[in-house]
Amino acid sequence: MAHTSLDAGTGEDAVSMFEAHRAQLRRDRMAANLLLLALFVFFLGWSIYISRFYPDRLAEGLPRIFEYFASVMPNLELANLFEGRGEDGRAVPGSITYWYADFTKYVVLIGETILMAITATILGTAMALILSFTAARNLSPAPWIGMMSRRFLEFCRGVPEILFALVLVFWVGIGPLAGVLAIAIHSAGALGKLFSEVGENASMRPVDGITAVGGTWAERMRYGVLPQVMPNFISYTLWRFEINVRASAVVGFVGAGGIGAELNQVISFHSDDRVTAVLLLVVLTVTCIDLVSERARHAMIGKESMR
Amino acid sequence: MLELMQLTKRFGDTTAVDGVTLDIPDGQMVGVIGRSGAGKSSLLRMINRLGDPTDGSITYEGREIGTLKGRALREWRNECAMVFQQFNLVGRLDVLTNVMSGRLFHHGFATSMLGVFSARERAFAIRALDRLGMAHTALQQTDTLSGGQMQRVAIARALVQEPRIMLADEPIASLDPMNAKLVMDALRRICREDGLTVICNLHTLDTARTYCDRVVGMRDGRVVFEGASTALTDRAAREIYGAEADEAFSESMTSTSLDVVPVAAMVEAPAVAAQAAR
Amino acid sequence: MSAFTIDQIGPEAIAETKARHPGAFANPLVRTLKVASWAVIIGYLLISLHLFGVWDLFGRADRALQMVSRMLVWQDMETWNYGHIYWGIAQTVAMAFLGTLLGTVFALGLGFLAAKNTMPIFVVRHAVRRLLDVFRGIDQVVWGLVFVRAVGLGPLAGVLAIFVSDMGNLAKLYSEAIENVERKQVEGVRATGADGARIIRYGYLPQILPVFISLSLYSFESSTRTATILGLVGAGGIGMIIIERFRAGLFDQVAFVVLNVLVVIAIIDWGSGRIRQRFIGERAH
Repeated sequence: MAHTSLDAGTGEDAVSMFEAHRAQLRRDRMAANLLLLALFVFFLGWSIYISRFYPDRLAEGLPRIFEYFASVMPNLELANLFEGRGEDGRAVPGSITYWYADFTKYVVLIGETILMAITATILGTAMALILSFTAARNLSPAPWIGMMSRRFLEFCRGVPEILFALVLVFWVGIGPLAGVLAIAIHSAGALGKLFSEVGENASMRPVDGITAVGGTWAERMRYGVLPQVMPNFISYTLWRFEINVRASAVVGFVGAGGIGAELNQVISFHSDDRVTAVLLLVVLTVTCIDLVSERARHAMIGKESMR
Repeated sequence: MLELMQLTKRFGDTTAVDGVTLDIPDGQMVGVIGRSGAGKSSLLRMINRLGDPTDGSITYEGREIGTLKGRALREWRNECAMVFQQFNLVGRLDVLTNVMSGRLFHHGFATSMLGVFSARERAFAIRALDRLGMAHTALQQTDTLSGGQMQRVAIARALVQEPRIMLADEPIASLDPMNAKLVMDALRRICREDGLTVICNLHTLDTARTYCDRVVGMRDGRVVFEGASTALTDRAAREIYGAEADEAFSESMTSTSLDVVPVAAMVEAPAVAAQAAR
Repeated sequence: MSAFTIDQIGPEAIAETKARHPGAFANPLVRTLKVASWAVIIGYLLISLHLFGVWDLFGRADRALQMVSRMLVWQDMETWNYGHIYWGIAQTVAMAFLGTLLGTVFALGLGFLAAKNTMPIFVVRHAVRRLLDVFRGIDQVVWGLVFVRAVGLGPLAGVLAIFVSDMGNLAKLYSEAIENVERKQVEGVRATGADGARIIRYGYLPQILPVFISLSLYSFESSTRTATILGLVGAGGIGMIIIERFRAGLFDQVAFVVLNVLVVIAIIDWGSGRIRQRFIGERAH
């Protein structure tokens, strides 16, 4: 950028001082950026070495990716596309019925997946709601309780849900319960942190007001804080529900219920059009739920900013 | 009778309230005046036990207040209602619920968490609002009200506590002159009609003179004047306010004697309020 | 002296107040609706938990207790093969880094193709967006499994999985950032007589670059978290070690590994927070 010279009689001194200062700043900044670049390059090389991400391996792998994706594509024929089952109960190859031979099974499993996500979201939100009040620095009834709550929430959101699911499957056995609990624990951790941050930004005046009428700690939270933070809480909960739908489609990989087990089975043991059949259904479900929930969130935020 | 004995509050090195000793008989309207930072707010908050005293004692009818804990403390707070400069209402709840929150002490865990209030409590809250001329706003969301309206709602909330004492911490500092008059009139009426003890922190001298039976002047945490409001001479006021005395005397500062307020002062009032809010 | 107490409120006073302010009293219909909606939520919760078999939780508590106690008591620590563990953790971080980097590079192009103000052709824009939906809609672990099938066990599958899902996420977020560019600043640059490239350099870039960097750093953080579990399906990294030792019943080692991973993730979060602060803080002024 060319800089214009403003010769308004301020004297040569001020200009040269400014120029010197500017040059110094630029040098400092350049040095810092170079250092960052060097670090970046080093980290990149290190990563390539450690994950053995070499060109020859990539060159070898890439064609196989395309081969694999070609093999899982459905073999649809336009002429037979909407052909139903024949009289012998067999579907015609090339028709959608043939592709989705196990459609009802998938739908039941996806239903289970969604129910798991709903239950887990309710449980996780309830837990997060209580813990967020004890964890928020300004609301916590005692410093040590706040400390413990924050550590507990950190643990809950630090461990991925699928690891919780692994452990819980060992405990309660294969089935959706392990998945529900795993997702509930993880989302309690994630939501608890978000909720407590909202609580920390809430005005303390209404809380003081409820204290002054002789309210208990619970009443202070219920009347003083909750009305202030409720819209944010609902919006965060909906957002978490979207994430939980995805999560509950995956916890089945370790036997924790939902469509995941079927997904794992299909991908691991078959490389045919069943893979795309299940994946397409999962993507459609997730996208639909995202759209609806996003609408709801925007409606809520819109209502909020109208006030 | 509320008795304060050598009541002291320290925040670190600074002493906000320094050995205050006062007897306040039932049914009296007391004005506490002084500059901002004189320790008025700390004193009031200690009486309600929103702040704990560092030293000294508070007794009410022979009961020690300074060391109460748990349910007994909440019972005292319920008995000793408080009105704040910034109203401290819950803006997102409707007016009626805000007023009924004054009944929370009488509720168990379940009914208060579920927000269940009886028809009797609702009627009582409406009557309280009615006394302050606010019943028509009962179903509005509270943060749509003006400052003066909110303060009257806050007084209604204090009233449904069925208190013995009402503390008011700068109740008119954030209000325009007309609303200030309405609020002060309401406090005065409550004191007279219900026989409540009212202790009111005020920034300005004239308001205290107009409304209070008795004036307590504070400076740097100490009581420097105490007596009937008629006994508040110019010299005593100078003692309380120091260099700011002329400002405190100036008629344009009074936010209550509406008849004599010139137009210019009304324009100025928000600036004064803002200053007091600091 | 007429004290104002709730005892004065008798049935007739309630009736009289009700007549004047009917809205202030609990409406039976509203109350029923409220109770019903709570009943539905709680009923759903109880029924679904019952169907999911919540009672197993208590029936097998001894099993859980056993596992937890073995997680807490660490035995034979000298035989734990730490080199293997830390190599796995390093591999996880490397996978996340490479995956996010590749994802960022590709998302840059796709982001501009999916944004309304930079891609006016409806068909192209929406085709790109639907493609991104597929990338995002499939979980990273599923991508991991798919790529394990395609290129075999190992970190390459993990890098590709992170790459694909990060590309989907970042491209969507980038396109939103591009759409949110303030037009006034762009017009200001245009008004100086700048040509197309300069408009992008001085009009768009200063606005979107900090957002892009911040989003990519966030994405790196979240990828390190998910990369730990990619190993569960064989896509390299620490997850492979975790599941291997879990299956072998070495719960104490699992606990140790998870603890280490949490520390590493915390360090990465901290570091990326610092970098973010540096870039954004500097450019915001």
